[in-house]
Amino acid sequence: MTEKKEYDVLVLGGGISGSESALNLAKQGFKVILVEKDLSLGGKMIHLSKVFPTLDCSACITTPKVSETARHPNIDIYTFSEVRDIEKLNSGDFQVTLVQKPRYVTEDCTGCQLCEDKCPVVVNDQYQWDLVGRKAIYVPFSIANPRIAAIDIENCSLCGACEKVCPANSIDFSQVEMQTPIVVKTVIIAIGFNLFDPTLIPRYGFGKYKNVVTSMQMERQLVPTRPFNNVLRPKDGKMPDNIAYVLCAGSRDETVGNPICSQVCCMYSTKQAQLLMGALPMADVTVYYLHIRAFGKGFCEFYQQAKGMGVEFIKGKIGLITEKENGNLLLRYEDIESGNIKEAEHDLVVL
Amino acid sequence: MGKTIDIIKEKRSVSEEVKGRIKSFNRLKKMILKSLETGGKTIPEIAKETNEETHVITYHLMTLIRYGSIVTGELDDNDEYYSYEFKQKQ
Ligand SMILES: Cc1cc2nc3c(=O)[nH]c(=O)nc-3n(C[C@H](O)[C@H](O)[C@H](O)COP(=O)(O)OP(=O)(O)OC[C@H]3O[C@@H](n4cnc5c(N)ncnc54)[C@H](O)[C@@H]3O)c2cc1C
Ligand code: SF4
Ligand code: SF4
Repeated sequence: MTEKKEYDVLVLGGGISGSESALNLAKQGFKVILVEKDLSLGGKMIHLSKVFPTLDCSACITTPKVSETARHPNIDIYTFSEVRDIEKLNSGDFQVTLVQKPRYVTEDCTGCQLCEDKCPVVVNDQYQWDLVGRKAIYVPFSIANPRIAAIDIENCSLCGACEKVCPANSIDFSQVEMQTPIVVKTVIIAIGFNLFDPTLIPRYGFGKYKNVVTSMQMERQLVPTRPFNNVLRPKDGKMPDNIAYVLCAGSRDETVGNPICSQVCCMYSTKQAQLLMGALPMADVTVYYLHIRAFGKGFCEFYQQAKGMGVEFIKGKIGLITEKENGNLLLRYEDIESGNIKEAEHDLVVL
Repeated sequence: MGKTIDIIKEKRSVSEEVKGRIKSFNRLKKMILKSLETGGKTIPEIAKETNEETHVITYHLMTLIRYGSIVTGELDDNDEYYSYEFKQKQ
């Protein structure tokens, strides 16, 4: 344990909510410590394509916000860190243990990525939602903040190639976990949300059928720093031309312990459908929904706009997805308007 | 900073899984690059030639593009599949 530090506010989570909170408080003169467990600030939003309902570029909103947060003199940022043992003191303050995990790369890193070329280990890139590989040493993603490499020690072959090639001498395998006691007056919890694991609904075939993807995987396919050279099917690299969206996948579903609405999937699917119409002008996009919850300002107009662009909306509940030999998917669904069971073929399905 | 790799080597060993990953990636890399020696190909064409599943080729090919050995070529006449080729041939 090292010397105790004191702050007015501890913000847990460096997504858009945590960054915005930290920045607003810092601007009012409060001393803030922002603790993010991931390698970069930005949360989910930094990885999105465009945002509904304005279709503004998500990275263009998040990146300046995050860098303003990172530069503010009243904010101390700890990434790849967590807190343990939050304890309320008699004074009303909180005593917290800050835990900094070793990144094995120092702040001298320039983000040149020369180490990545030399590293022999390839593992799934979590920032491309596993659609492509990354190296065991890696700069998390191009707009990461801080833009410093990290070593995934569980997957490191201990070959030392990165240390040999690094021009900034920034590899440091002697790093260990550090614990620091801190005292704060207030704690803001802005740890966001976890994405639903679609393997919990086996009838949708995610994991088994490679052309069933998640909406986050589709977000990544729609950004300039995408995993593939275009929007393509992970199974065989084919450019899809008949894409289906399955809404409420994992939401409003007691069987997976999640009875509530995510409040975002109707709108981000409508957004992605519009973006796909732009990226793949020949493609048909069909959205299977239970109810469209376009509840915010401009949301209903956004939904109408998608319809006007030719996106087909079918009120239907998907019972089963199966795969054909050519990788296309058969969706068996209840057409809620007519009450009939129907089947439709698509070449890519987004959950 | 000096040579710090020896410090961690005293504390950790390399798992069989990591060794397997390196072997598997190198094997697929070799096969894909060999297949492209005879010219640009689509993912199903590479998969057929190498007797691998198409999704395995997609993943490894896209990783090779990311790290610079391969580039994207033309889209076929049916607007379905891109071909991929060696970087220097572009
Ligand atoms: C596919 C998809 C598309 C979307 N599209 C849109 C859109 O177009 N428009 C729109 O307005 N919204 C969209 N959203 C919603 C948007 O992503 C969220 O509203 C936003 O990311 C919420 O930000 P947040 O900071 O609250 O949470 P998060 O983005 O989840 O960030 C939370 C942060 O806290 C960190 N954290 C978690 N636990 C801890 C811990 N114990 N200690 C320290 N740090 C921790 C996490 O690593 C993360 O960085 C979309 C969401 C998805 C999934
Ligand atoms: S020591 Fe580890 S991170 Fe560095 S190049 Fe070798 S495998 Fe990659
Ligand atoms: S660790 Fe070294 S080689 Fe790797 S990105 Fe940073 S400065 Fe470049």
